[in-house]
Amino acid sequence: MNFDFTQHEQKLFKEINDIMLEMAGEKYLEEKDPVNAGKTVREALIRLANSSYLKLGIVKDEEIPGLCVMMGAMEIVSSFSQSLYLSIEMSTRLFGRIISTFGNEEQKKKWLSPVLCGKKLGAVALSEKTMNIDNDQMETTGVRESALIKISGAKNYVINGPVADFTAVAGIMENKPALFIFEKGSIGLIPGEHLVTMGYDGLFISGLTLDECRINESDVIGPFEDKSAFDTLRMWENQIIIGGSLGMMKASFESAKIFAKTHKTGGKPIIAYQEVAFKLAEMLTLFQTSQLFAYRAAWAADAKSRESDILTYCAKVFCTEAAETVSGSALRILSGEGYISGNAAERAYRCAKYGQIAGTSTEIARVKIGNAALGA
Amino acid sequence: MDFDFTKEQLMFKQELIRFAKKEIVPRVQEHDLKGEFDFESFKKLGEFGILGLHFPEELGGGGADVITTVLAGEALGEAGVDGGLTLAYGAHTFLCADTIFRHGTEAQKQKFIPKLSSGEWIGCMGLTEPDAGSDVASMTTTAEKKGDKYLLNGNKMFITNGPIADVAVVYAKTQPELQHAGISAFVVEKGTKGFSAGPPLIKMGVRTSHTSELIFQNCEIPEENLLGKEGEGFLMAMQTVEWDRSALLAPFVGSATYLLKKCAQYAKGRVQFGRPIGQFQATKHKLAEIRIFGEAARSLVYRIAWCKDQGRPLNHLEAAVAKLYVGDWSMAPTFDAVLIHGGYGYCHEYDVERIFRDSRLAPIGGGTSDIQKMIISKLM
Ligand SMILES: Cc1cc2nc3c(=O)[nH]c(=O)nc-3n(C[C@H](O)[C@H](O)[C@H](O)COP(=O)(O)OP(=O)(O)OC[C@H]3O[C@@H](n4cnc5c(N)ncnc54)[C@H](O)[C@@H]3O)c2cc1C
Ligand SMILES: Cc1cc2nc3c(=O)[nH]c(=O)nc-3n(C[C@H](O)[C@H](O)[C@H](O)COP(=O)(O)OP(=O)(O)OC[C@H]3O[C@@H](n4cnc5c(N)ncnc54)[C@H](O)[C@@H]3O)c2cc1C
Repeated sequence: MNFDFTQHEQKLFKEINDIMLEMAGEKYLEEKDPVNAGKTVREALIRLANSSYLKLGIVKDEEIPGLCVMMGAMEIVSSFSQSLYLSIEMSTRLFGRIISTFGNEEQKKKWLSPVLCGKKLGAVALSEKTMNIDNDQMETTGVRESALIKISGAKNYVINGPVADFTAVAGIMENKPALFIFEKGSIGLIPGEHLVTMGYDGLFISGLTLDECRINESDVIGPFEDKSAFDTLRMWENQIIIGGSLGMMKASFESAKIFAKTHKTGGKPIIAYQEVAFKLAEMLTLFQTSQLFAYRAAWAADAKSRESDILTYCAKVFCTEAAETVSGSALRILSGEGYISGNAAERAYRCAKYGQIAGTSTEIARVKIGNAALGA
Repeated sequence: MDFDFTKEQLMFKQELIRFAKKEIVPRVQEHDLKGEFDFESFKKLGEFGILGLHFPEELGGGGADVITTVLAGEALGEAGVDGGLTLAYGAHTFLCADTIFRHGTEAQKQKFIPKLSSGEWIGCMGLTEPDAGSDVASMTTTAEKKGDKYLLNGNKMFITNGPIADVAVVYAKTQPELQHAGISAFVVEKGTKGFSAGPPLIKMGVRTSHTSELIFQNCEIPEENLLGKEGEGFLMAMQTVEWDRSALLAPFVGSATYLLKKCAQYAKGRVQFGRPIGQFQATKHKLAEIRIFGEAARSLVYRIAWCKDQGRPLNHLEAAVAKLYVGDWSMAPTFDAVLIHGGYGYCHEYDVERIFRDSRLAPIGGGTSDIQKMIISKLM
């Protein structure tokens, strides 16, 4: 056992933290204006590419640490900006990982390298009208048309949808799951309106219509024999959400702690009141428990442990619910100041709900954990 | 980071689970109902080497590291050993014997540790008093130096193993005018004149452990029974409670695994509305909650064990976080376990009701949840 990060790993955390600190010093990272937000994401990608952040969990190399470190690094980026974080993660840890895991050499050269250098932005379109791939068959389909594949369907809620350079669209081809890769501007690939959401102010989310889009067969990944490849995507998505939740807790806890130590009422800092101090203690307990949970689930995934999927579901339920509790408590400590839009805790509170919905929803995750206990 | 156990540790755990299921668990129900301490099981724990697992072999111990020691606690919980026996073991091995081992002279160690390791003697630790629980420093038990002796006067309260202990580590003030700095620790042996124990208290849970008052009335003990130096008692107590917040929590981790298996088994067999209740999502939800608690608690508890193995003697924040989490969050899974069993869960035959009762001690013993919050908020 070892509960510490190595010096080398801590150095990487510092590098990432410094990059994000510098960016946060220069501009507001949750910019609502889509044009500016797009510029910010691309700038962050280029800067982060100077560290090994974008390669974590994707490039298998002696120099690149494993998933535990990926989780620690994700926490840092998410603590600065949840929108920036999710946009980057969808591009790298979801789109990038798809290509690195399932793509051939040519596909990697074409799509993975530019994403890992931070020069291009990726997106993944999985969800549909009846979105949960756990319950329903997908409607997006690809059919052969001489040398090309013709894809029709509609996707909901695609992060980076309107601005992505590459989009991996999940669908069915020859009755099997497949991924179709589109480049920006492909004919028939129509992004929907920018969706305004409860949280993630600076994130692009839109639906995506595929109106008889045609791509070459070399732009298809799969078809896969079964849906396990899609289950893997869900697990990666779950990891992203877990890392994001840690960042939300870090940001909310820190802002509440600083406030409690500096804001005075009745002649003393409010941390002197048990109602405040004890809330902070509960928040820190949930935060630290979440961190250990997240690291352990990531470690299990790295070790290809038999328990890895279940631990990831457990960590996802725990961390996403803890993120809502911790940011909610932070808001109570921050009181009026916290209720003003733009505060770290207020932002985290609005974003936290997403974690429970997206990926494997907490309801479905609990059913899966229960099934595992029953041996079902 | 690395969350793996070694092969030897895992084999040891399995061996202990097998042993406990065969030798101890069959007697749990009977002793819990009668509220009796199970001397035979305790002796067997000694024979298996659990009671002195982390002490050096020269002192009759097993020479194990802290992680393996904590693993033993988890194994007992996972086998279905009750909270009373694991508490008695914890108070004996960690609160009593470990304090002597860490702070005793060579002579004190030679005298007490081998017999405590084997289970020939039973140990207890007296810190809490009738009017000084959370506020330890306000204790009023005194130890007055008289020539080459100390004279102890005062009462200790809620002492696990109190009525059956052969050896007690007792905290008393050598300088009553001081707070923490006035506290010293002593070893008191059964039969010492002026030392007696009250009758076992009737408790809600952990009923197979005996809890009582310790009474000191002009109790004269030789000066060589002082542990360490005068005034060092509070620090010793702090090191001791760190075991309270790690090794003594391990059975709760194991118990979550035990509950999960037990509930899953019941849910597969119990049919209502024409199908096993395990097929209802509401039941799966409860099973998931039990699993999530167990996994969350596991990492917290082993983190302290690992810190201790790294030679970090005091890990206040890690210990308080683990104690607060296990203390407060262990309640709900035991409630869910009773609910899954319906009416049967309310009856003694299915031991989920005992586990429900036993667990209620988690947010109280070894420092209440409020005290953990106080510690955490001071350290942040
Ligand atoms: C802001 C945002 C961004 C997103 N980004 C992306 C993206 O980039 N790419 C992408 O592919 N998707 C994305 N999604 C979609 C996301 O993954 C889905 O919202 C999620 O999978 C849940 O699906 P749903 O909303 O259709 O809910 P439903 O599946 O309809 O579920 C509704 C409710 O019923 C419960 N439920 C459903 N089935 C069961 C069952 N079998 N047992 C028990 N309970 C059940 C659910 O837990 C939930 O509480 C995004 C969503 C949002 C809100
Ligand atoms: C079964 C059992 C076994 C035990 N075994 C031992 C043993 O072997 N040795 C030993 O020394 N002790 C033992 N104890 C004692 C145990 O450690 C104490 O019960 C515990 O520390 C709480 O002290 P108390 O009961 O006096 O409660 P009190 O300190 O009186 O607390 C009462 C309530 O007030 C709250 N409270 C107190 N102070 C504050 C504060 N400052 N801020 C906010 N809330 C506060 C507490 O959280 C609690 O809710 C045992 C207790 C039990 C029940």
